[in-house]
Amino acid sequence: MIEILNKGMMTCVVDSGRYGYAAIGVPPSAALDKFAYNVLNCLLNQDENAPALEIIGAGFSIKFHQDMICAITGARVRASLDERSLSPWASFAAEAGSILTVHEVTEGFRYYLGFTGKLSLPRVIGCYATNLECSFGGYQGRSLKGGDQIEINDIYSVPLGVVPDKEIPEMKSPHFLRITDGPEHSFFTEKSQKTFADRESRTEYTVSVNSNRTGIRLTGEQLSFCDGVKKSIISEGILPGTIQIPGDGLPIIMLYERTIGGYARIARVVRADLDRLAHLIPEDQVIFGRIEMDEAERLWEERRDRLKSFL
Amino acid sequence: MTTSTNPFKMTISRFGEDGIRVLFGNDIDLSVHEKVRNFYFYMKSLDLPEVIDYTPSFRSCLIHFNTERTNFARLSSLIEEKEEEALRPGNTPESTLQEIPVHYGGPEALDMKNVCEQTGLSERDVIAIHSDIIYTVYTVGFTPGFPYLGTLDQRIQVPRLETPRTKIAAGSVGIAQGQTGVYPFPSPAGWRIIGHTDVRFFNYEKEPYSLLRIGDKVKFISI
Repeated sequence: MIEILNKGMMTCVVDSGRYGYAAIGVPPSAALDKFAYNVLNCLLNQDENAPALEIIGAGFSIKFHQDMICAITGARVRASLDERSLSPWASFAAEAGSILTVHEVTEGFRYYLGFTGKLSLPRVIGCYATNLECSFGGYQGRSLKGGDQIEINDIYSVPLGVVPDKEIPEMKSPHFLRITDGPEHSFFTEKSQKTFADRESRTEYTVSVNSNRTGIRLTGEQLSFCDGVKKSIISEGILPGTIQIPGDGLPIIMLYERTIGGYARIARVVRADLDRLAHLIPEDQVIFGRIEMDEAERLWEERRDRLKSFL
Repeated sequence: MTTSTNPFKMTISRFGEDGIRVLFGNDIDLSVHEKVRNFYFYMKSLDLPEVIDYTPSFRSCLIHFNTERTNFARLSSLIEEKEEEALRPGNTPESTLQEIPVHYGGPEALDMKNVCEQTGLSERDVIAIHSDIIYTVYTVGFTPGFPYLGTLDQRIQVPRLETPRTKIAAGSVGIAQGQTGVYPFPSPAGWRIIGHTDVRFFNYEKEPYSLLRIGDKVKFISI
């Protein structure tokens, strides 16, 4: 059993996502930094869809009631197990009675904690991921709080491992996000398209405090719609990383909590850069760069091969 | 079956590395909707292992595919090959008609007064008009189980709220432009709320989870 002593800013159960039900509006609610989540499962020799904790903020603390092996990936944190300090992106052995505490998040935003055992949580619509807005999945459909306990069964052992520092992705501001054109990119004036995503112009946007797990709102240079273009579209499907521009001209990057959107989809963040979205903190700077699809595909293959090197 | 009067050909385009957008028309229109619906149910029946998800909506179907199993060129040529068969009517399951009891007006109908003011109609008229039509489910989304229903009578068409509410009650019945819908969960809401229902539109504990799917019909009953 594990017991949450302090939830940090927010902690919830995630997995690789709830797919197959977009036609009835069920979003993936997946781990936002999939690379970190996948590496976590590799370090622990876990199933690729195993439930893990996605945590924001310092102060997070958890008590182990059984011996097990754990790992932390994602944001770089200064953490300790009792008195012993822990390396980032590494697994460690926790004895019954020991307490893990995260003192500081030094780079990035969301970090992941996993265990060598089976968390006793129900699958909802096939998945462990928490849909926070609709209160289902994960731990009783909600984020975790101090005092919550999760049973862990079938605990197994694996050799301890650590990801070499140079393999840990960069997560700090400014975030350079590469994008490909979305269905409505031509709704915007050429000047706006250029300012928004031309690699030379390097326009900086700021992450708004009104961002959440559904979408990241940005402030900065407003985009201008072409004359005569409607500012909202007939609602249509979206995918993670879709950048929508509502009437106020300020971009919203959609994450894993919506299947449909009603605003012009100017672009989509390339798959290789989706993980980075987990680490956009309010006040961080974001710069977009438009690339061609074949380059986006090549970047994804690199990202995939990087992960394969851990297996 | 007569051929559709809509001459719009299916258009395939790319949406990111792992998305295909299949477009069937430009407007909210029943004949476009029928194409989307036929296409979606046909494709789904093929049970393609390379497809992760389908998001059918008013005028398009978005396909999310697994790039380890296929690629854009291969999947789009498969879709083109199947176009005729996919759009042939008769592939689709029977649509159900759901009667939804609604308590119109009262404290939960946050915008009823405003809707009356904007339309110049009495509350009674708004209710009569809203509950007179058999609506079609054009798509389900926004939140799980949220049905986008059309088409709303011209006389009660009002714009969305300028600033959406951050949270409204589950079961709220809203209208906006040519659409109406029911919020299955407490969620943000930009539509104008004119009533409330106790009917559960989404149940995560029981398949098929959503009360409605694309193409189903809805009739609201005033209680």
